[in-house]
Amino acid sequence: MKVSLRWLAEFIDLPTDDPDVLADVFASLGHEVEGVERLAVDFRGVRTAEVLDVVRHPNADRLRLCTVTTGGDPVEVVCGAWNFDAGAIVAFAAPGAVLAEGFEIGSRTIRGVTSHGMICSERELGLGDDHEGILVLDPGTEIGVDFAGLVERPDTVFDLSITPNRPDCMSMLGIARELAAYYEIPHRVPPTDVAEVDTATKVTITIEDPTGCYRFVGREVTDVTVGPSPLWMRLRLQAAGVRPISNVVDVSNYVMLELGQPLHTFDLDKVADETIIVRRARPGERLRTLDGVDRELHPDDLVVADPSGPSALAGTMGGEHSEVSETTTRVLIEAAAWDPPTVMHMSKRHALRSEASARFERGVDPNLAPTAAARAARLIVEIADGVALGGVQDVIAVPKEPWVVKLTAHDVTRVLGPGFDRDLIGHLLGRLGLVAEPVGPDGLAVTIPTFRPDLTRPIDLVEEVARLWGYDRFDETVPFGKGGAWSPEQRREQVLRRTLTGAGLYQAVPLSFMRVEDLDALGVPDTDERRAVIRLKNPLRDEESALRTTLLPGLLRAARYNVSHGNPDVALFEIGKVFFARPSPEHPRIPDQPDRLGFVLVGTFGPTSLGRSPRPVDVFVGTALWRLLGHHLDLADVEMVAGTLPGLHPGRTAALRVAERTIGHIGELHPAAARAFELPGRVVVGEIDLAPLLAPRPAWQFVEPSVYPPVTFDLAFVVPEQVPAAKLVKVTCDAAGELVENARVFDEFRGEAIGEERKSLAVTYVLRAGDRTLSGDEAAEVRQAMIEAARRELGAELRGET
Amino acid sequence: MEQLAQIVAEAPARLASVADLAELETLEAELVGRRSVLAELQRNIGSLPPERRPEVGRALQQARAELERLISRRRAELEREAENLLLEDDRVDVTLEAYRLPGGGEHLIQQTIEEVCEIFIGLGYVVATGPEAELGYYNFDALNTPPTHPSRLESDTLYLDWGDPADEVLLRTHTSPMQARFMEAHDPPVYVVVPGKVYRADTPDATHSPVFHQIEGLAVDRNITMSDLKGTLAHFAREFFGPGQRIRLLPHFFPFTEPSAEMHAACFHCEGNGTSCRVCGGSGWIELMGCGMVDPAVFEAVGYDPGDVTGFAFGMGVERLAQVRHGLSPIRHVFENDVRVLRQFRGIA
Repeated sequence: MKVSLRWLAEFIDLPTDDPDVLADVFASLGHEVEGVERLAVDFRGVRTAEVLDVVRHPNADRLRLCTVTTGGDPVEVVCGAWNFDAGAIVAFAAPGAVLAEGFEIGSRTIRGVTSHGMICSERELGLGDDHEGILVLDPGTEIGVDFAGLVERPDTVFDLSITPNRPDCMSMLGIARELAAYYEIPHRVPPTDVAEVDTATKVTITIEDPTGCYRFVGREVTDVTVGPSPLWMRLRLQAAGVRPISNVVDVSNYVMLELGQPLHTFDLDKVADETIIVRRARPGERLRTLDGVDRELHPDDLVVADPSGPSALAGTMGGEHSEVSETTTRVLIEAAAWDPPTVMHMSKRHALRSEASARFERGVDPNLAPTAAARAARLIVEIADGVALGGVQDVIAVPKEPWVVKLTAHDVTRVLGPGFDRDLIGHLLGRLGLVAEPVGPDGLAVTIPTFRPDLTRPIDLVEEVARLWGYDRFDETVPFGKGGAWSPEQRREQVLRRTLTGAGLYQAVPLSFMRVEDLDALGVPDTDERRAVIRLKNPLRDEESALRTTLLPGLLRAARYNVSHGNPDVALFEIGKVFFARPSPEHPRIPDQPDRLGFVLVGTFGPTSLGRSPRPVDVFVGTALWRLLGHHLDLADVEMVAGTLPGLHPGRTAALRVAERTIGHIGELHPAAARAFELPGRVVVGEIDLAPLLAPRPAWQFVEPSVYPPVTFDLAFVVPEQVPAAKLVKVTCDAAGELVENARVFDEFRGEAIGEERKSLAVTYVLRAGDRTLSGDEAAEVRQAMIEAARRELGAELRGET
Repeated sequence: MEQLAQIVAEAPARLASVADLAELETLEAELVGRRSVLAELQRNIGSLPPERRPEVGRALQQARAELERLISRRRAELEREAENLLLEDDRVDVTLEAYRLPGGGEHLIQQTIEEVCEIFIGLGYVVATGPEAELGYYNFDALNTPPTHPSRLESDTLYLDWGDPADEVLLRTHTSPMQARFMEAHDPPVYVVVPGKVYRADTPDATHSPVFHQIEGLAVDRNITMSDLKGTLAHFAREFFGPGQRIRLLPHFFPFTEPSAEMHAACFHCEGNGTSCRVCGGSGWIELMGCGMVDPAVFEAVGYDPGDVTGFAFGMGVERLAQVRHGLSPIRHVFENDVRVLRQFRGIA
């Protein structure tokens, strides 16, 4: 809502015109100032002049030679505009005058004729953008006067953002009411008395759909002369951001801006049978609207029709056929109250957002309609020489009367704090023009005018009390909760994140969407749970058409972005939700949406040393990260075994299992998937359910370090190819029992000496007892037991020992 | 004996002038060796009268101890000097990055969420999270947002092709649904903050994202007032931006709070003096969040007695906080995950 201070002065005498002060006042009332525009007088030395004669320029087809006078001797000027004739009053800049942007006027010769000045357009005067013709002033304007005195300048225009609950503030009158309440001063309303002739209008109005239209006022004005509006009105409309069109149309916009009631004007000669019917659109009906678009109407669309069909989209846009034109002589003014959601859906459906629909969507006071219709009729009579007919049609489908809201001082103090008694509350509400009558010991009965649809409950009035009291006047106190802390799961998630960042990964935040084709790129079969995709009903683009069922596409795309931007080494992780088309176990009416940990590694990773090649990533980097997490999060209950997952390398994938349930995978991306995501080399990924990782574990228990010396030895086994290293370590360690302090595979070897389908695994063991020094015999016995267990359970042969 | 006293007195200077360990050995022999004056005197002690022997013997022993102490100290010095000469050959350019441990770090959004949550944990709040795919009921109806409200249109809200159509399963447009869910699950008093992702129907570009993050705050108790809201947010602003931070509340409108307010922080960048400040645009104030007193309709929807409790709620944009404090702009950098951007997200003080 654009508010010109000069225009506002018609409604209220403000104690200040300081824009900074007023901006703070608007803000403190809840009307955010989005911009402040200073309109200056950008010219000097421009006077009104009469054009005495106009002839063609002797040497130029597109120029004219005008004789103008400001009251003294006529002078000749060359002019390129054709929108005026002899007799027009214009703004004339004589030599010496200065126009917008410092342009100084002198006498100059144009095609052999000396032009002694210039007839100005709006743009040259800094009054507007119009430069298609020169500015033609109202007939009867006195000539020879300083034109600066005829424009409402300088002026300040505030661009206010009006919240959706305040339809009443979408008008100069509403803003004046707010300022009157703030400053506790009176405000004025514009005159609405109309000189009507005795003849009554023959227009009839029927509201067939009272769910869409609460009230419809029709007023007929005849004998109008459609032409340009007077300068003052055009300038005010422009200051408010509305383009002037013609006097009749401008009046409807002007009254909308003044009072907040959008109006529509019909050329009554184009309304069949002078009959107006408000109804929903019928199947197949079409309407060519003012913007020239031929629209197919929806059965929910509300239309203003005549017996021949729709002539306007209610509260949204008029139709082209019944539009007021230069030849219009009979005007029907429509002032109606439409159902806000109906207008909102219609304007969205047809992508027609207008000043009118913006107001109707919020809700226009139905009782404003007759006032606004009268105000418009008065102005059309005044500036378009019209004659207002009697017999105003005012059809009320749903009457609306003021209502009473009861409020107690307690209602106020329990929300706003102590210090508000009934007198103070009544006084504050009274400033808004609300009548508050005392009832009971501390109650008030507040009568709400129909222009405040937002005030229906006591709490609505509490807000008004707070607003007028001033939010800046409230104390600052800090209540304390009942004891806060991160939950165990939240703390474990912090440990998880810090473990990964400490290892060298960066946390990524990709969007939560994917396209179903991403699953094809990964090679995910139809039976895979990742195919339980939820699609968006109203996707923005193909890229965001579905909710992700896996974190991998987002991470891979982020990796791809980095690789293609010259960052070849990528190590990212993400913690976020995936979404499956199945009910959530906790809330069956919403989809299952578990949290996941995902990561991706491309290029090289890990510590780097001068002169040595960095380590290219492979599955072992991923499993090392897992072991690190296992240490920090105490995840001994999660078992890592060889596994497979469509999308991952069949021979380089580890599955993570808790009690026979797979909770995630770590592996190298299948080369086909890596190609599809345009990623080079081996790509390591992991995706793990978060909840099992974050579930609190029992507190770990201290083990006293032994004071006795360890026994360290290496064993090299030859085992069948399919025996996992971890299995060998486990079997041998189980055989040694509690004596094992540490065991680690330090070499893996294949070759002719070992034989086909076999491999050598060399393990180093540290044995130590907590209560004694292990004797040589005892150590040898244990070692033999370990070798024996490996032979027995895994078919391992001892290849060497040290 | 006098000669010995002189030898002891001169020993520090003579030892200091020794250049290397070989010279020290020569001097050592001279001072305390078998042919030294000291040794000579000790050998001859038997020729003294018996009554003087203990006294002279002690004096000689003291002199020997002193000389040996001086020699030993000098030896240690010379040995260190000799080793240092060798270490010169071991010199490296310590500015060379010959070994590098990988970096890594949490996302700025995560860091900001943690910092904000900890401020409220300090005020006795708990931290809760909730579903992102949500029922229309929790996202709108329970929050006093009628079925006709424009925010429910498909142009603003992303709806999911799943579930009962009457449930209007959608991607939550704010973290506020957790207000209702949390209150349904907990009796008052309630002090909770809820961080998380939220969604809007915005096509991604430099300055728009269909995904962003919010932190919701809710305090419900007996006697919670507007002053509590104001004081809590002022405390938050001072903790987050610095001790001198000022705030203001301006009236605003949200369906689920009344009175509603917008919270502004005084621009710390230009301190209100910059006509073209990149942070506040010259207004001197930075719009930080929406807030207000919980609407009684919300209490009714969750089964709380609006006559018994009052409360306040607020919802802040995490990207906004991060952008304001760190100048991170435009928003696409938050979701693009460019390593060059992620590396900039150092820890927050």
